[in-house]
Amino acid sequence: MAGAGEMDCEMKNINDQHVNIDTLRKLVRSYLDLHQYNAALFWADKVVSLSNDDPKDVYWLAQCMFHLRQYHRAVHLIRSKELDKTHPLCHYLTVRSLLAASCYSDALQLLTMVENDNSLSRTTRNTSIDSMGDGMMYSECPANLQSSILFLKGQVLEAMDNRELAADCYRQALRCDVFCYEAFEALIQHHMLSSWEEMELLDSIPYSEQCSTPSEASFLRQLYETKLNKYQGSPQQLSEIKSNKYPGQYPETPVSGAAPSPSGSVFKGKLALDISQSSADSLKPVSRPVDSLPNLVVKLMPQNLDVLVSKAERLFYNCKFQHCLKLTEDVLKKDPYHSSCLCVHIGCLVELKKSNQLFYLAHRLVDLHPEMAISWFAVGCYYYIIGKSDPARRYLTKATVLDRLFGPAWLAFGHSFAAENEHDQAMSAYFKASQLMKGCHLPLLYIGLECGLTNSCKLADKFFLQAQNIAPQDPFVMHELGVIAFQNREYERAEKHFEDALKLVRSIDDSVAEKWEPLLNNLGHVSRKRCKFQMALEYHQQALVLRPLNPSTFSAMGYTHAMMGNTLEAVDCFHKALGLRRDDTFSTTMLTYVIEQLVDDTQPFEGAPDKMPVFRSKKGSSSRVHRIISYDDQNPDDASMNIDEETDNVAPISDTVNVSEIANVTADSSTLSFEVEMHDSSSQTLDKDSA
Amino acid sequence: MSDITFKFDLKQIKTEIQTAIIGCSQRGLLHSTKWLAEMNIALKDVDVDSADITSQHSIWNLGDDDADLYTLAKTYFDLKELDRCAFYTEKSTSPRTRFLHLYSRYLSGERKKLHDMTDSTLPPDPTQNSSLRELSAELRMEYKEGRLDSYCLYLYGVVLKRLELVRDAQNVLVEAIQKDPLHWGAWLELAALVSDQGKAPLTDIPNHWMKQFFLAHMYLEQQMNEAALEIYYLLQQNGFEKSSYITAQTAIASHNRREVDSAIATFRHLHKEDPYRLDNLDVYSNLLYVKELRVELSQLAHHVCEVDKYRVETCCVIGNYYSLRSEHQKAVLYFQRALKLNPQYLSAWTLMGHEFMEMKNTNAAIQSYRQAIEVNRRDYRAWYGLGQTYEILKMPYYCLHYYKQAQQLRPNDSRMLIALGETYEKLDKIQEALKCYFKARSVGDIEGIALLKMAKLYDKLQESENASAAYIEYVTDNESSQAGEKSEVSQAYKYLANYYIKRNQYDEAYKYAHKCLDYEDTREEGKALLKAVAQTRSQSDRELMVGNITMSC
Repeated sequence: MAGAGEMDCEMKNINDQHVNIDTLRKLVRSYLDLHQYNAALFWADKVVSLSNDDPKDVYWLAQCMFHLRQYHRAVHLIRSKELDKTHPLCHYLTVRSLLAASCYSDALQLLTMVENDNSLSRTTRNTSIDSMGDGMMYSECPANLQSSILFLKGQVLEAMDNRELAADCYRQALRCDVFCYEAFEALIQHHMLSSWEEMELLDSIPYSEQCSTPSEASFLRQLYETKLNKYQGSPQQLSEIKSNKYPGQYPETPVSGAAPSPSGSVFKGKLALDISQSSADSLKPVSRPVDSLPNLVVKLMPQNLDVLVSKAERLFYNCKFQHCLKLTEDVLKKDPYHSSCLCVHIGCLVELKKSNQLFYLAHRLVDLHPEMAISWFAVGCYYYIIGKSDPARRYLTKATVLDRLFGPAWLAFGHSFAAENEHDQAMSAYFKASQLMKGCHLPLLYIGLECGLTNSCKLADKFFLQAQNIAPQDPFVMHELGVIAFQNREYERAEKHFEDALKLVRSIDDSVAEKWEPLLNNLGHVSRKRCKFQMALEYHQQALVLRPLNPSTFSAMGYTHAMMGNTLEAVDCFHKALGLRRDDTFSTTMLTYVIEQLVDDTQPFEGAPDKMPVFRSKKGSSSRVHRIISYDDQNPDDASMNIDEETDNVAPISDTVNVSEIANVTADSSTLSFEVEMHDSSSQTLDKDSA
Repeated sequence: MSDITFKFDLKQIKTEIQTAIIGCSQRGLLHSTKWLAEMNIALKDVDVDSADITSQHSIWNLGDDDADLYTLAKTYFDLKELDRCAFYTEKSTSPRTRFLHLYSRYLSGERKKLHDMTDSTLPPDPTQNSSLRELSAELRMEYKEGRLDSYCLYLYGVVLKRLELVRDAQNVLVEAIQKDPLHWGAWLELAALVSDQGKAPLTDIPNHWMKQFFLAHMYLEQQMNEAALEIYYLLQQNGFEKSSYITAQTAIASHNRREVDSAIATFRHLHKEDPYRLDNLDVYSNLLYVKELRVELSQLAHHVCEVDKYRVETCCVIGNYYSLRSEHQKAVLYFQRALKLNPQYLSAWTLMGHEFMEMKNTNAAIQSYRQAIEVNRRDYRAWYGLGQTYEILKMPYYCLHYYKQAQQLRPNDSRMLIALGETYEKLDKIQEALKCYFKARSVGDIEGIALLKMAKLYDKLQESENASAAYIEYVTDNESSQAGEKSEVSQAYKYLANYYIKRNQYDEAYKYAHKCLDYEDTREEGKALLKAVAQTRSQSDRELMVGNITMSC
């Protein structure tokens, strides 16, 4: 229908003695342009009768029906004229109508039938559509019909849950017509491809063949690039991963212990690569700084909304929610219903817990677009952040019913369970999401999180590794891997993971976002476990800079001080922690212990004498008194030493007792604090999905 | 601290002050402006060509192209429409408006926190500080890029301090001071941050005349009253004699040194000079309270209430007044009101803690004292109060820690040392306890019980020589005054009499036994002792008799 203007009057019949059929045709087209479909339908019907079922006129009539959402009628019309297999435009429209009417198998049947019929001529057409391979059949069709049909096939297959084949069709469509954005979007938006498949796709698109100039080609490529997922690595890295890891697509987790070193080394290599190549790389990897969007696109259209949204998405992945929100607000001011921007915007609002804004937005969306999944997603998110899981689930389900492929809704659905510690249900929601979004690592990450929470570390590790396979440059995954390693008491490995994550985060942006406070704290924990107390303190201090007044950071610092023997500082820290969170049993226990310790550690007051003072009376200077005093003077060391020894003897015992106590306590607390952190991190990753 | 050189060029100082007044007032830094203006008026005899300054810095003539916007924003700011002010100045880059933007955001966040405060015994929840964190993140970024001027640096320091990032706050504030040494607010914030140990940043502070004010203020905070007074006297001699601020500070120093009468006199003088000045009047009311000057306190309370009901100082004065009348419930109410007005007001927290102690509400007392410490770690009264509450709760280890903190802050205050000693005693650490009492004795025992405690401990340790010596000292101390606790003195006499009997020094024994007769509770025993002395003297078989006596005792 896009090629309406191309229609001309060559085909006109002569039998228009009474009526000028061409005027009527023009009438039909003008009414279609004006979206007065009933009028168009009326006149198109007359034209068909007048022109004795000219296929073109039939096509136009069917198109009117299609616009009027009378899909079955359109299909019937075309079928009755037997044009559905012979006339390409009619064929296309039939399939479209069948798809719109949800008759997927019919559509597929038709598609395959035509495909088989034309399979021979197909190859020639592919290369030169305009040169008329077989008669007039394709002569008047728009050039991109072929790719459109392929795209339709993809859609049909996708609707039938045959996602692999669908992806294939989309890819073919894109190759047929590099401008077929819909196919590209279908591939990208629904996370069908993993990151390197995406890159391969981007490389395999024949820009130069179909674009007139090289600059146009690179423009196109960069445009697509902005659309790619934001957390993947550069192609070099990807190829390296493939060579290293790909053979078994999801490498079996070896017995823990063996796993760390290889994956660690891979990372090192990659990071090095990352640094050395970042300047030469035109294809900026992942979460590079925001400004590193493809230059050409940004330069040409700095105010283009899509470009801005893509920028916002990058900010979102780098956890700069404030910035991101500002950007999305700007975009939504210009285009209040920019759908891809809405997703990021909602994610931001959820992340920043702006319930009032989200409430208003959701209301507006539902009023205006009750048929769009994102409207109900917004409603669900609103209920999610105000902590009402039941309605949240109800509306998120509604969103998923409206659009089964709407991944964010599935993830949020999972979060709503996870927030209530319903691990199994959360996991099943995430599993569903992971089926839908093959190329997205987030569902796997969340499944891993839930596994970790249910104490199945091995399984969790496995899922994290899978997630890492998909998104090898995502610091969140590394962080979670570290957490699991920590839980398994493999502190060295945990440290490695955390450090890698931190390096990555730092390489993205020098100023680490607040989101990463748990990472720094975890680094602190792990450093403490590895007896690098000073470093632990430093990490905790950095964490405090990111998120000040966090009671668990203070108690971790206190614990570290206690291990270092800085009892006074430890007391201070625990006090602070308890001041911020009164019902912290770990800090309370530790404080009691440390404060008792402190009594032995410190002098009664500054400059207190070592030995017991002896009172010298002015009067009582009898000889015996003197003697006793002098006796005291001689032996005070003995006396005090005895006492000291005693206390020394006592101290170690109490020490050991207490140390074991601490060990228990910390075991508790570390899991506890980690749970908290994991909750943190789960919530922190929550929002990513919506982008 | 003694190597202070005072070479003030008062003229220049006044010019500087006037310039700073304009800078501060344009940015809505009201307290600094007030302080500076007070200093300025104290120097009113110094002639400066002030027209010069004001013309240079008038609102419309600062080289900014957004004077219109600034005027608008400042109006909103003055009317406390903070969010509105922040909104209008959001995109502005000129230093004044930029500061107004940040400052109004900060104030608005703090104000909202205050309004959200539900329970007045608790401060606003410190974890609910998202706006503050946001602000700090933004400031951090600009700080890294070096885009903050001295005022914004000050604000950044304040924000950091509120987020308890002490080290960073210190550095930032020092930087702010380096850029603009006349901003008194920055000095004040820094003074609150400089801990006893962390004097390192002081080396970076420019050697400006303002530094003297800062040092004196800090010394006062750290209970180094003599050093503070020294500076203040010198300042007064060098041209600032009319400053009411300095007068008030000297009064506070006297208060800290427990020179109650002179402090009261100074305050009285100040009050007469400047009757509507409410600053520091809570200290004055504390003094009146200590002296139990009911009439004066009542008069003061009524007066301040008339001046301004809703000032923290007023509330504290009234709270003290009610406390003196033993209406603790009402006192607490007023302290709570003070805290509602300003949750950072230190003395209200401490005083409220005292009231709760009076009302035997240990939990609430602990809460209040802790808050006081959160506000200012150097408040020894709060530490001491905490120690007392934990003593009541029978948690000697905690108690010990708090007393120790208090003692560190007031190393020469015998009350802390005695309290420490008592706690050590409870923990059966007699050695330590003795050390404390010894020290208490040597720094000047206010309550006069260190000796007695010591004697008892020596007795417990069976070191009768030391014990007797201590007792003798104790009774001679109390002989003259007669004010000591009667029963304690009599017990001391009894002990000494027994002691000398054991050692066969009958003259001494007789003397002390005789003393026992002066007191009700030991009269009978005294008689018995006298009899015993007489008997042993007359009889030859001393050993046996001594045994009998000890049995009869």
